[in-house]
Order: sequence, then C-alpha cells, then structure tokens
Amino acid sequence: MASTLRLYLTCIRNTLEAALCLQNFPCQEVERHNKPEVELKTSPELLLNPILICRNESEKCLIETSINSLRISLKVKQADELENILTKKFLRFLSMRAEAFQVLRRKPIQGYDISFLITNYHCEEMQKQKLIDFIVQFMEDIDKEISELKMSVNTRGRLVATEFLKQFI
Amino acid sequence: MRRELSMACFERASPALKEILLKLYRAEKHVEVDHHLYEFGSVEYHIQSPAADPNHNYLSISTPLLSHGVLHSYGFSPYTIRMLKEVCSDAVEIVEPPREGYQLTLKLDFSKIPSEKESEKVIRQISSVQAVILSSQLKEMLENVNSQDVSQGMYKPIKLVYHPREPFYVIKQQQKITAVFPMRFKEPSDVIIATAFFQELMDVGSSEKWSKAPPCTWSPIPPPELRGEPLEDLSTNGGFVSFDISSRHVEGKKLDKTVWSLLNFYAYVKNHIKCTRGFIQRRMQKRLENLVEVLHKENQEEEGDVKKVKENAGCRYVRKLVRFPKSAMLKQRCGEFSKRMKRIRFRIKIHGFGRFRRRWLTIPKLSSPMRYTKID
Repeated sequence: MASTLRLYLTCIRNTLEAALCLQNFPCQEVERHNKPEVELKTSPELLLNPILICRNESEKCLIETSINSLRISLKVKQADELENILTKKFLRFLSMRAEAFQVLRRKPIQGYDISFLITNYHCEEMQKQKLIDFIVQFMEDIDKEISELKMSVNTRGRLVATEFLKQFI
Repeated sequence: MRRELSMACFERASPALKEILLKLYRAEKHVEVDHHLYEFGSVEYHIQSPAADPNHNYLSISTPLLSHGVLHSYGFSPYTIRMLKEVCSDAVEIVEPPREGYQLTLKLDFSKIPSEKESEKVIRQISSVQAVILSSQLKEMLENVNSQDVSQGMYKPIKLVYHPREPFYVIKQQQKITAVFPMRFKEPSDVIIATAFFQELMDVGSSEKWSKAPPCTWSPIPPPELRGEPLEDLSTNGGFVSFDISSRHVEGKKLDKTVWSLLNFYAYVKNHIKCTRGFIQRRMQKRLENLVEVLHKENQEEEGDVKKVKENAGCRYVRKLVRFPKSAMLKQRCGEFSKRMKRIRFRIKIHGFGRFRRRWLTIPKLSSPMRYTKID
C-alpha cells in the first residue's frame, strides 16, 4: 500500500479513536426525544470542532462529532470519468442499502461521496475498536473495488473489440 | 461474457420466424396459420398457410430500406432480387406482385425440400431473408457509387438509415471506403462506457497483430468528410467512430461479413454497454454481500467474546441499566481473572501440576447477583 495512504488511514484511525467517546444525551429541546445532535446542530455547546483530513485535493475525510453521535464523510479519489461514474454508482448502490450496514447514512453530505452516522447506541451494541476497524477497512475496500471495476470494464471492452475486429479478417 | 461475444455475429435468421416455419414443416397434417410477427427495426413478417392452398405457405416481409435518396418505385433493385434468388432454394418462389403493405412475398413449398437434414438449413436461409435484403442494398451502394456524386475531388457521403435516429455514412474514396458512425446515447454513463470501448477498439486495431483489420478512429468532433451535412445529423454526445475499409476487406466472401458487421455496429455497441452495466451491477451486489458479511462477522465475534467472558466468570447475563453492588463487581473481576488463568498455556509441562491447578487455583462459583434480596 502507498505510504501516503497508510498515513492517511492512520490519521483517520487515531482521530476516530479520540472522537468515538459518545454517551446517551436526550434532546434538550423536545421532551422524551433522543436525536443525534451532529445532525441537528441546534445546540452549539454539544458539538465539537469538525476535523477535515485531506490526503490530496480529491481525497478527504470530514469527521464531525457531538456528544451522542459522530458523522464521518468521505470523498473518494476519481482520476477520470470512468472512475467517476463507477464510484457514483457503487456508493449510491451501498447508500440505498444502508440498513444492511446500520452505521451508513442513506444520503451523503453535500460535497462528499459517502457518509456514516454513528450514535451512542451503535457504540453500546458494537465494540469501538471493531467499528473503527470496519470503517478503515471499508475505505480500503472501496478504493480497491473501484480500481478492480475499472480494470474489468477495460478488459471486457478490449475482449469485445477483439471479437468485433475478427469479423473483418 | 461468452454470451456477449457470441452475439458478435448477430444471427441473420429471425429466431421466431424459424421456429414457426419449422413447426409448419414438421406438422403431420395441414394447419391453417395466419401469423404476424414484429421485430426490432420495424420489421414485419406475415406467415400464412391458407386452407384453400394446403401445399403452399406464404411469407410476406416488410422492412425499412437503407435510404439512398432515390427510392425504387418498382420495389427492390434487380441486384437485391438476384441476391434473394441465390439464397432461396427450389422450395421458394418470389410472388409478383407482393401482398399489399409488404415489399416481398415468398411462396414456400416444403415438399420440394430434398431431405429432412436439409430442412433446417433451408428454413434458416428463408428466415434470414431480411438480412439478405439489407446487406444487398449496402453491397450495391458500395459497388455502384455514381460518379456524378463527386464533389470537390471527393465522393459525396452516402447517408444510410437502418434505424430511425441512427444514420451512418459511407464515403467512397480512392483505394478505400470510410464508414462513419455518429454515436448517440441516452445516459451520460453510457457515453463514458462507450468512449472507453472506442478507445480499446482503437488500441486493438492499431496493434501489429490486428494490422489486417480495418483501422478504426474515434473523435469527439465530426470528421472533415462530413462537412456540409445537416447539423442535426452531426450533433452527438458519443463522438464519431470511423472504419477505413480497403479492398481486401470486401473481396470474395469477406464482403458479406464486412457489410453485416457494419450494419450491426450500433446494436453491437449497445449490447456491450448493456452487458457491462449488468456486470457492474452483479459485481456491486457481490461486494455488498462481502462487506455486510464482514460487519456481521465482527458482531458475531463480539457476541461470542461476551458470552465466553460471562460463562467463565460464572455469572448470568446482567442488564446494563441495573447498578451492581461492590461485591458483585468484585466477583465479576474474579471471573475475568480466572478466565485469564485458564487461557495461559504453560510452555513447560510439569507432571502433576495440572491436578494441583484444578484443585487449588479454581475459584468456586458464587451466587448470582440477579437473585432478589429483600432489603429490610
């Protein structure tokens, strides 16, 4: 793996380890309601400073924390138009099936490709380290999958082009 | 992938028509039939087997012609008729005039088919009549370009419309014929997949191994040969693909294959895009399953660890909302300690130490903290 990717992921991991200290906190504005404060952003005292980690101009990670929830938004690298459409299709596909992942947000934050929302309930049900491992592994898998998809599409195109040109010989 | 590659030929025989004709041929007694078949590309077949004429069947065909500007008012050109007669066997006779609404009517006499082995071949030839009609038109145009069409030292581009909104151009030049395909797609993702395919087509065509294949070029702007054509025909989102066909690609039997490949180029590209999208979808679904499996596996591992800890501690499952007294906390910690003790693997095996460990180092099971005790 490239050294810059390793540094990038390590930075995200360390930030998540510090940020994933969530506790239950009922809504201050509506009685008997319990909402993720990072989504509402109505009470500034419950929000921490957002952290933006950039690997380069096209790859970045935004981590927004509050007292009872954490939101992670990722922007995946897209070198050309083909990677662009593959990334859009794939991440949209995953987002539409967010209930399978529990911590995935159905719609990414504007300016990003995919977003996670982790609440204190997720931290109670799952181990913090495993959650962080999952998110870091997810990021690696996405990059790998997009690269493999692109290679497969080009390989298929080459084989089909070869078969077409065979008709003329 | 195999299915996509096998579609490279795009069968000339209509499968539905072949099936109906085979049924008619194999029927033990005469069956009165009146079928209308409609196929992609505005092709219509009418199969009739009248009761009044039990020995013959009638097949009428209506197909859009590759327009050349001048339509033949008398029907097909003599070249096309000659091609048709070459393909069809003694069992087929062209009926003049054709039925109303159709360009060609054939009279089929299955009793004249030589043998049962030959029947499938003959019926396949009959079912591919529409392909023969279209191919012969393009062959005739490629062979007989009117010299009066020369303008500015170049032959004028011939516009061919196989399917509405999908015209392509054939330009006859000295020592070669250039076929130009303006590409249009409905969705932006299709444009990108197609562009990647055209890049591969150019790369493969320019390699030494495929030097005998016609050179292929792709450009986002119309080539200079098409200057002067209507703007609506030249406005595309997928660029222009050009094939340079030389004499060696159209000599002998290769002419038929070349013409058929050019006629089906649009369909070929669209089929490739459709298959690629299906492939991407399947791949994404598989990846989703893998990712979800990883997440569930981690959750199951967590639950497994929690269960192991609690079994070894000798405690039952406790609700997190309940606050324990200090004695219960101490007992839980002892349980964890005993678990660690059991997990220690001794490298050096001391004879008899196992018995000593079991006798003196195990912590006895204590009462459950969940048992209710009345507070006085």
